[in-house]
Amino acid sequence: MSLERKDDYDHNAWLQEKDLSPVETTFLTALIWMDKRLRIVDYLEILESLYYRVNLQMPKSHTEQYNLDNKFWYWYPLYTLGLFSTLSYIVAAVSGALLGFYYSPATTGDPTTAYTQIEFIMTELQFGFFLRSLHRWSAQVMVAAVFLHMLRVYFTGSYKEPRELNWILGIILISLTMGFGYTGYLLPWDQLAFWAGQIGVEMALSVPLIGEWAAQLVFGGFTLSQATLQRMYILHVFLLPFIVTTLIAIHIGIVWVQGIAEPH
Amino acid sequence: MTDNNDNTTAETDGGTGIVAPDDETPTWSERKARKTGLSRLTYEYFERSRREDQDLRTESDYVERDVLGFPTWPHETVRNLSIASFFVGMIFFLSATLPPHIGPPANPSSTPAIILPDWYLYWSFGLLKLSPVNPELSILGGQKLMADRTYGVLANVVVVGFIAMVPFLNKGSARRPVEQPFWAAVGVGGVVFAFTISVLAVQNLVPMNIDLLFDLTFLLPIVAGIVTYAVLKTMREGYMYDLNRRYYRLRPPR
Ligand code: HEM
Repeated sequence: MSLERKDDYDHNAWLQEKDLSPVETTFLTALIWMDKRLRIVDYLEILESLYYRVNLQMPKSHTEQYNLDNKFWYWYPLYTLGLFSTLSYIVAAVSGALLGFYYSPATTGDPTTAYTQIEFIMTELQFGFFLRSLHRWSAQVMVAAVFLHMLRVYFTGSYKEPRELNWILGIILISLTMGFGYTGYLLPWDQLAFWAGQIGVEMALSVPLIGEWAAQLVFGGFTLSQATLQRMYILHVFLLPFIVTTLIAIHIGIVWVQGIAEPH
Repeated sequence: MTDNNDNTTAETDGGTGIVAPDDETPTWSERKARKTGLSRLTYEYFERSRREDQDLRTESDYVERDVLGFPTWPHETVRNLSIASFFVGMIFFLSATLPPHIGPPANPSSTPAIILPDWYLYWSFGLLKLSPVNPELSILGGQKLMADRTYGVLANVVVVGFIAMVPFLNKGSARRPVEQPFWAAVGVGGVVFAFTISVLAVQNLVPMNIDLLFDLTFLLPIVAGIVTYAVLKTMREGYMYDLNRRYYRLRPPR
């Protein structure tokens, strides 16, 4: 009996009988050597199947399957509104993060630090005027896009089974989007911000039973103060971003899993 | 060793007698057999739903084709990228041409003549101005059941709650507005109401009699809804004939 280990898959013998060119031999030897140690073949296989999946062709569409004549469905362009909501959210997030480098939520001083910081951004900071404008506009556009997206979902009947949960998630998202807008509106602490905040406090206070508690929680008191601005700031730059980003991810994940509802 | 190991098979345990647990994943039925109560039911359901999926798959007369629509790359991807850059470019354009301004600093001791949130909250602001329709109950001696402001906040809850309920009120497989004129009418009425209630919110900027404005706020949505209903009902007959012929024959409505 030989002490030499017998290889079930004697790759060397296989290489000999193949009669390969030197380049091929070198390549295969290297590949086998690496593969014995790193199991590359597995990864190559994954890459290969990924390659095929990326090039997968789409299944026959509903319109074609039911022979709806490949008619141009006149609402298809509106199906991009969800993408627009996401894009404007991203633009708002990036420009907001940049604004956050210069803003500070303090009501000290006269006019307040918050106000003077906005003034600083608008008048002295390089590109600050544009940056604030960009943040404003992307927020406005996002609300508009989300609302129109909701209308397209409504009028194409896309909220029906099995998409009810995504519809409700959408309601939560549009409310949070408006919450984003409201908390952001208060941050410059100018006259409009202050009195919009006043109305918010009054609305919170007028809720039966939990009104005072809600006003305390959200606005930090029954009159506007440093606490109010600070809470609006944390809601706007910390809590809401986390929650909304997660919910958008879930929302789009559900669309991914369920597929876009095709019109009939 | 006490157990009667077959000596002809290779020893893979290094003579320790310790054998690694086999790594075969138990099937659903094996897992089910070990379980009781709720988890057993869960497994049973999983099994059923898998069987159902399989049955549906075998039943399906889904036709595969040779060329199946556009490939993701490059067609879809390039299209999406161009739409995305156009859209982001549009935001940049707006920001560059119409920058926002900032008002005077906050001053708690002087209430400005016009207090407004951003435009997309006008509807909510408008709902706070519904005091004329807050019912005065004769049982309470003509008193209102709720303060006007509470009523307004409640109106917000009702509106949002109704929208959230829509999928549970309107079911079925119809998708196009012509198929369901009523729900299309509700939608159009809702959109018009969102607009009119927003105008009501900025009533002091609208050069119009306030009572007329208030009435229009509720009348316009109703009129718009009725018109929508009438138009769609009229369109429906010719339209549905085509749809039925092509579609419902293949996929009967539930
Ligand atoms: C932050 C806000 C939102 C984002 C980023 C978002 C994003 C998206 C995206 C990207 C899609 C894929 C289809 C499309 O683009 O039309 C989608 C689908 C959907 N969205 Fe939204 N959405 C938002 C808000 C809403 C709202 C307010 C509703 C309704 C109340 C809603 C309900 C739905 C439903 C039901 C679908 C599935 C539609 C279908 O399958 O045809 N979403 N969403």
